[in-house]
Amino acid sequence: MLAKLAALRGHSTKIARGTLMCSLLITGAIAAEQPAHAEGINWRQFEGTSIVWAYDIHPYADAVAAQLPEFEKLTGIKVTPELYPDDSYWNKLTIQLTTKSPAWDVVGTGIQPAWDLSPSQLLEPLDGYLNDPKLTDAAYDYQDFFPALRTALTWNLTDGQIEPGTGHVWAIPHGFENIQLFYRKDILEKYGLKVPTTPPEMSAACEKLKAADPSITPLGVRGVRFWSSIHTAPVSIAKSYGVHDFFIKDGKLDTGLDAPESIAFHKDYVDMIKKCAAPSFANDNWYQVVDGISSGRTAMAIDSNMFGFWNDVAGKPASGKIAFAPPLHAPNAQNFESNIWIWSLAMNAASQKKGASWLFIQWATSKEVDLNGAVAGKLVNSPRTSTWTDKAWLDYASKPEFNDFVDTFKTVQDRAALAFTPRVGFGEAMNAWAVAMQKMVNGADVEKTLHDLATEIRSSL
Amino acid sequence: MEIRGSSVSVSAQPSKSLVAASRASTVRKGAERGIEWWSIAAVAPAVIILLGFLLLFFYGVYQSLTDLKLGRPLVRFIGFANYSALIDDDDFWNSVRVTLTYGVSAVLVQAVLGLSIAKLFASEVVLARLLRPVILLPLVLPPMSVALMWTTMMDPQRGILNYLLSLVGVAPFPWISDPATALVSLILIDVWTYTPFFALIIFAGLQGITDDIREAARVNGARGWATFLHIELPLVAPYILIAAVFRLIESFNQFDIVFGTTQGGPGNSTAALSVQAYITAFQNLNFGRGAAIMVANWLIVLAGAFLTVRLWQAVRRRVT
Repeated sequence: MLAKLAALRGHSTKIARGTLMCSLLITGAIAAEQPAHAEGINWRQFEGTSIVWAYDIHPYADAVAAQLPEFEKLTGIKVTPELYPDDSYWNKLTIQLTTKSPAWDVVGTGIQPAWDLSPSQLLEPLDGYLNDPKLTDAAYDYQDFFPALRTALTWNLTDGQIEPGTGHVWAIPHGFENIQLFYRKDILEKYGLKVPTTPPEMSAACEKLKAADPSITPLGVRGVRFWSSIHTAPVSIAKSYGVHDFFIKDGKLDTGLDAPESIAFHKDYVDMIKKCAAPSFANDNWYQVVDGISSGRTAMAIDSNMFGFWNDVAGKPASGKIAFAPPLHAPNAQNFESNIWIWSLAMNAASQKKGASWLFIQWATSKEVDLNGAVAGKLVNSPRTSTWTDKAWLDYASKPEFNDFVDTFKTVQDRAALAFTPRVGFGEAMNAWAVAMQKMVNGADVEKTLHDLATEIRSSL
Repeated sequence: MEIRGSSVSVSAQPSKSLVAASRASTVRKGAERGIEWWSIAAVAPAVIILLGFLLLFFYGVYQSLTDLKLGRPLVRFIGFANYSALIDDDDFWNSVRVTLTYGVSAVLVQAVLGLSIAKLFASEVVLARLLRPVILLPLVLPPMSVALMWTTMMDPQRGILNYLLSLVGVAPFPWISDPATALVSLILIDVWTYTPFFALIIFAGLQGITDDIREAARVNGARGWATFLHIELPLVAPYILIAAVFRLIESFNQFDIVFGTTQGGPGNSTAALSVQAYITAFQNLNFGRGAAIMVANWLIVLAGAFLTVRLWQAVRRRVT
């Protein structure tokens, strides 16, 4: 009996020990699991919601649209993309936001248009969402975006004007562009031309090219009557001449567009356009620039670098024929300058589905989606540093057909910066500059036109 | 009021029958008054909608008196400052010139061509009958599609128009890419699109001229050209003018063709008031100034339509 009791006690002790060990293991396992749960968010918290995402017709949009089924599977949120041609999109965006229509939940924007939409807070500040652990996954890693891009999309409003660098986050970078000169290697080699580095060199090269083959347009640049034609070639090259769109004089904001540096730049630039650009310059937008370089009707172009990249992709008619170089600079300048454009995702402040919208923005700008878009050859300039250290992307972008894309990107990116002064009223002033540019290209006196332009801008300051 | 206005009430010695007639008239008018309430109720929705439109219009006029900028929360009443700024602005007067040139030229050319085509349609030529439905094609195309189509065709380097010109040895024409030719090119697009409208209306007018009128002219010795000039043209003139009213209103307001091709450029060479108002309001976000340009455009449309309607009334009186 005693033996039986002893055996039973021993068995009970084993059971108790076993139970204790199991409990400890389970507790330990749960304890170990807890931090992982704290980092993750419930991606299905807005399941059943439908949102509208508006964007420009653009390969960057295609990169996200191609992965949309994954987002819908992950979250149960239905996303309807509304994509519009470039000019129409910006006008529609302005109307939708300023009328406080809730029809669009998430919108694509750049920094410059966002400045004009700031004073009425038509965009939802996103820092609150970024800092909410229930809404933002710890793996999202906002610090992974290039610091310059994060800073550019962060600003405060003081007396209705922009104070960049600190304050609210108004949009999340989704892709970006720096301005480069890209050219058809085959055409320049055929006619023995070197890649020009200054506007006068470009003018000379264009004259040679036109003499050799009148059917080729030497240079493709945007010329439409809209600020988008200023933010590529003109402002990048102008900066190397020392031109300032705005500066502070005696404590007051003033424009530098009628300064001697600006006159010198415009004389060279207008001369270059007359000798190099297509006769349809005034009607040419980026669509025409891309069409020209991809078809080989245009020998060179100054625009966003990814336009060259997309046409170098294997299987495209121009694959391997487009190479890259920094943008032109002033003849007496030590170095070039390159403006940047940041495609960003922002939230309409009038949206009634802000939680679902934020989950979409977060997903669309995540490391995985950016990397997938890049490797698919669409989202070329990822705003995330992690993409640019990822072997898959670097191996892809370094393929022979892309020529010197990666090296030129790194060279240009070192000097690429926002060339415009952050301010509300950007659109009005820059549209006026685009109109003035058309007038000068069509023969108006450069100094007088710039004087009139500066007077017009000053009257609205 | 009704009695005072009737012939019965002015009679100094009314007869019994006249008094009875007067009473009957009063009763009938009373009954009519009852019906009028139903009529008022019936037209009330239309009147309310009209008032709604007028309210929106006057709200637009009010906005032109403010410094409203889209995206800026503060709005101040600034009186006629926007109009004063426009009067001092050379670009505004350029837009007025472009709008008038575009509207008047397009309508004049369309009237002449429309009359020619309508006369052809009214003839017994078999080919003309076959072409009747075909000529309506431009009218059914969306104006923005028309603009994009012509932009491609007018490309100085690769457009089909310059290719066709090259076949007959003509040098490339700059079309919409040069300030000197851009406005003429836009007028050409407008003419291509809307001439069928004139042709259609004038053709209906020509159909209304009966053969006996022509026969009478022929009996009096009128030849073909004289019959057209002195009989047909005066009779279809009201039709031409009524078509001109509609087209003038539309041409002074034309937006799609201008914006879809040149956006008002090169420079400001095609910056019609409608386009300039849009750019000022929605691209430059200066809605107050944009509204003032829209009001100026409205005044031009109103003046143009008023003059054409007066002309139409005068011609119609003369014809009838």
